[in-house]
Amino acid sequence: MRSIAQVLIVGTVCLFSTQALAQGTPGQTRTPDASAQQLRRDLEIMKEQMRQMQEKIQQQEEAIEKLSIPAAPPEPIPAPVPAPPTTRDREQLKQEVREEVMRDIQPQLSAATKTFPSQFNPAIGLAIDNIFAYRQHEGNNFEFRSAEIGLSASVDPFVRGYAFFNGTSDGFEVEEAAVVTTSLPFNLAVKGGRFFADFGRLAKFHDHDLPFVNRPVSVDRFVGGESQANGVEVSYLLPIEHYVTLTAGIYNKIGAENDRVSNEVPRDLGEFTYLGRVATFISLSDAHSIDLGVSYAYTPQVAIEEKAHRQLVGLDLTYRYVPLSQAAYRGLVWGTEVFFNRENRPVGGFPTDPTIPSPVVFERNNAWGLYTYLEARLSRRFYTGFLFDYAQALDADVGDTKAYSPYLTFWPSDFQRLRLQYTYRDQPGIPQVPAYANQVFLQWTIVLGSHAHSFRDR
Amino acid sequence: MKRIAFVLLSVVLMLLASHAGVDAKIRVVATIPDLADMARNIGGELLEIKSLATGVENIHAVPMKPSFATLLNRADIVILMGLEMEHAFLPALLEAARNPKILPSAPGYIDCSVYITPLEVPTRIDRALGDIHPAGNPHFNLDPVSGKAIARAIADGLARNYPQHEAVFKRNLAAYLATLDTAITRWQHEAAPLRGVKLVSYHPDLLYFAQRFGMEPVGTIEIRPGVDPTPGHIVELEERMRREGVKLVVRELHYPANLAQTVAQRTGAQVVELPVMVGGVPEARDYVSFIDYNIRTMLKAVQGG
Repeated sequence: MRSIAQVLIVGTVCLFSTQALAQGTPGQTRTPDASAQQLRRDLEIMKEQMRQMQEKIQQQEEAIEKLSIPAAPPEPIPAPVPAPPTTRDREQLKQEVREEVMRDIQPQLSAATKTFPSQFNPAIGLAIDNIFAYRQHEGNNFEFRSAEIGLSASVDPFVRGYAFFNGTSDGFEVEEAAVVTTSLPFNLAVKGGRFFADFGRLAKFHDHDLPFVNRPVSVDRFVGGESQANGVEVSYLLPIEHYVTLTAGIYNKIGAENDRVSNEVPRDLGEFTYLGRVATFISLSDAHSIDLGVSYAYTPQVAIEEKAHRQLVGLDLTYRYVPLSQAAYRGLVWGTEVFFNRENRPVGGFPTDPTIPSPVVFERNNAWGLYTYLEARLSRRFYTGFLFDYAQALDADVGDTKAYSPYLTFWPSDFQRLRLQYTYRDQPGIPQVPAYANQVFLQWTIVLGSHAHSFRDR
Repeated sequence: MKRIAFVLLSVVLMLLASHAGVDAKIRVVATIPDLADMARNIGGELLEIKSLATGVENIHAVPMKPSFATLLNRADIVILMGLEMEHAFLPALLEAARNPKILPSAPGYIDCSVYITPLEVPTRIDRALGDIHPAGNPHFNLDPVSGKAIARAIADGLARNYPQHEAVFKRNLAAYLATLDTAITRWQHEAAPLRGVKLVSYHPDLLYFAQRFGMEPVGTIEIRPGVDPTPGHIVELEERMRREGVKLVVRELHYPANLAQTVAQRTGAQVVELPVMVGGVPEARDYVSFIDYNIRTMLKAVQGG
């Protein structure tokens, strides 16, 4: 009878402890592994509690015996030896506890893992870029430069998509809308749609991401602003320890502001622009590195230039000093790009008045340009830099453009930036345009929502 | 012409051969040295391990080097802390690496936060709160008990990818956890004087460490995570430190010394300089010596040694 009572009591204690364990972990989303450690500890505590309770039961039973049979000499009661739980019992107990815990937390787990259709929406970000500009000979102006909405998400296991819609004072345009493969073999990636072609460095930056207020004149003149292109691009990362990428592309044209070629008119294969680029990275030490790239764009026939070919070559070099332990406070960047352009241009240039018929005499003209800038990070919030820009005109007999721009950038946070820039621009030889101009810009840029750190904008 | 064709064919064959890979070792890239050290303990000779960060960096500002993309391109496994700790560099590098084996949706992507109960999970996702991590504070590597959860996540991740070596990973994990358990018992005993000690740190790096050893974080020098302080914030912080009797200012080594020292001087507190990763100081050679160093340094400051 006594042993049955003991078994019942021990069983009750076990159940009680199981319940207590289950209640002791409300709402915790433990994993089975994390629970196993806890379970082991709890089991030890339970065993100790069981042993203490059995001792108490034994003492009480002894006391009852003494009280109920006063006459008879108390018989020595053999000390009940608590049967140590077998391995099987322990495993069963663990299993029961585990199931109990899982039953308890399952509602919370289910709630936490619920999905909604909107969860598949792409990451959305908005960049707003405003400047106040003073331009000598022109005047002052508050310029709303752009509000750019960016979207990006995986499409399926094989490709991802992204798009940038840019609203400016001139209207609204799709700046980029492209699909990029993510799972091609042999280190290949294919990009298609409208995107920034892999030409040079700063031509692939959106306006608000530039290290200074305005895109260098050389990039504007030779590439046509951002290297926007409708087409397809294949790139290959060499499977060696040294970083080398090769890119090949075919596009309607390169350059958002390149108006020599239209995106709307169907064309022969000879009127597309073909691109090749090789880029590498040289690590001089943990803190010092060089990015180097050579780009070549070839258009066999430019319709507006008597179907003569155009060649554009770019060399980009970026030196960086980023001390590892102080990367958020100190640093230096020296960025340079050199461009060489060769194409047929009309003698005397294109007429500015559309009613005047196009000239008939074209001549081959070579032109080159470069920009170089040095930027120092002074603290977490302040950067300062100096940009020199030089660009020959595409047409002969027009003077070269030079610009000198010191600037100071202040980042109150990673998502807000203020920039002050002075530019002295020297551009002789253009009728009705003053030979030089002093300009001052104050730029205020913010980013809302998602803004991923992009490898392209390094 | 034949010669050119031969050269081209040779190049193509070489490229194909290089992709085929002949190395028997599993190539692992860890984002921080802590994870590399644990993976080394768990995977042993089976793994060839590289770490992107060296340990001295601010983990939120690790430079995004193209050479990292090459490492990741050749990796079989990437091990990361998770909770968006590596948001500043890893997503873009993974995109540039063109390695489908280690993309977030692939088994080769081992997220070490899976067994962690995160602290400081924001109830409101708003940039006005600073550069917050929506899934919670990611600096759990400073807590050695969380270190055990990290080790388990690594072992499970490796076994998921290489079930043929599961027994080895499990055995090594058990041995490593036993080592950590022994060290944790010792640390908890040694760190008893830290219990109840209030501290201010530059960034909320110390939260898990403080909770483990009973310390009380009172505030940060940053006005919000990732946002440098304003003068007004520093005045408020100093007033609070005086009011609450805070005697420790922790400067994580990648943050500037001047401001931490100024705050400490004005409030009569002491500056403690701590690494936040293995390799942050020469003494922090591996995970155990890293935690050892932090506890020892903290004790020295508290006990005035």
